[in-house]
Amino acid sequence: MNQRNDEKLEQVMTAALRDMPPRRAPRALESRVFAELQRRSALVWWRRSFTHWPSTARAAFVLLNVALVAVTFIGGVSNVVGGRSFADFSGIVLEWMRPFVAVLSTVGGLTPVLLRAIPSGWLYVGVAVSVALYMVLFGLGAAAYRTLYVEPSLAGGRS
Amino acid sequence: MRAYQDMVFSTAFRLAGSDAQAEDIAQEVFIRAYEHFADLRTSPTAGGWLKTVATNLSLNYLNRDRKRWRLFSEMRSTADDGEESPEIEWEVPDTMLEDLGAEQRRQMVDSVLHRLPDHQRIPLVLYHFEELSYQEIAAKLQVSLTKVKTDIFRGRAALLPLLQAGVDARDAMDA
Repeated sequence: MNQRNDEKLEQVMTAALRDMPPRRAPRALESRVFAELQRRSALVWWRRSFTHWPSTARAAFVLLNVALVAVTFIGGVSNVVGGRSFADFSGIVLEWMRPFVAVLSTVGGLTPVLLRAIPSGWLYVGVAVSVALYMVLFGLGAAAYRTLYVEPSLAGGRS
Repeated sequence: MRAYQDMVFSTAFRLAGSDAQAEDIAQEVFIRAYEHFADLRTSPTAGGWLKTVATNLSLNYLNRDRKRWRLFSEMRSTADDGEESPEIEWEVPDTMLEDLGAEQRRQMVDSVLHRLPDHQRIPLVLYHFEELSYQEIAAKLQVSLTKVKTDIFRGRAALLPLLQAGVDARDAMDA
């Protein structure tokens, strides 16, 4: 870096940007703020943000939620476990998992069969097409980002 | 509100880069001020409070926007994130906008400032307009000190020819 040029640039820009008057706010700003304040104050308390609720309502809401979570959790656990032993409980869990295990083992068994049945050339083409489609989608996303977001921002048109 | 609305709007405009966003941010700043009216009413630092809130809300606004596009915004050229400042290959003039009045300078700068990318404009505005130090800017933007210095340097280097072009266009119109 050319230190002297850098310092000179800083001095010139500091002088150019110093003591600048503010940009005038739109005339409508004041009325817009008051309209928004009126709109917010006209809302019933439970439709405002949580921080604006009355403190008793906030406390009651928190307590109610804690109680609901506790009841759901305790009720759920006691309903499943009840007076059962650990072995019984494990049996119930395994019973729930049985369909998933069955699906997984079927898929696992089917995969080598399919791989043997489909010619390897087709598989390579399929993989290549998938990769190409992924790249196209990614490229479209990047192009959309540059066109719709970056360029309007540079032109000052983003809003 | 009238005493501070131009200052708040300017801060938001220079950081956000557009009138529409600046108006939204300014509105939110004054709504927050209303919520703290009891404290601010007699406070001698009300102006500073408003400026700080305007700055922080503008940065939050921009950050939200950036996060929405994070996947692609981080694909931009890594050359933009270089640790070294580039050489200036042209001669830096001795003065810039010196013959213009303050209001004319303001118009000229505001008309080109938004053409800088966010990562250059924001630290530049925080340094030159909000008068934060490099360290404060790095802390606010959660980036390294070196990156702040590089981005401000590049922002100045990008702004100078834009201002020069504005001056030339103005001179051509006057002639």
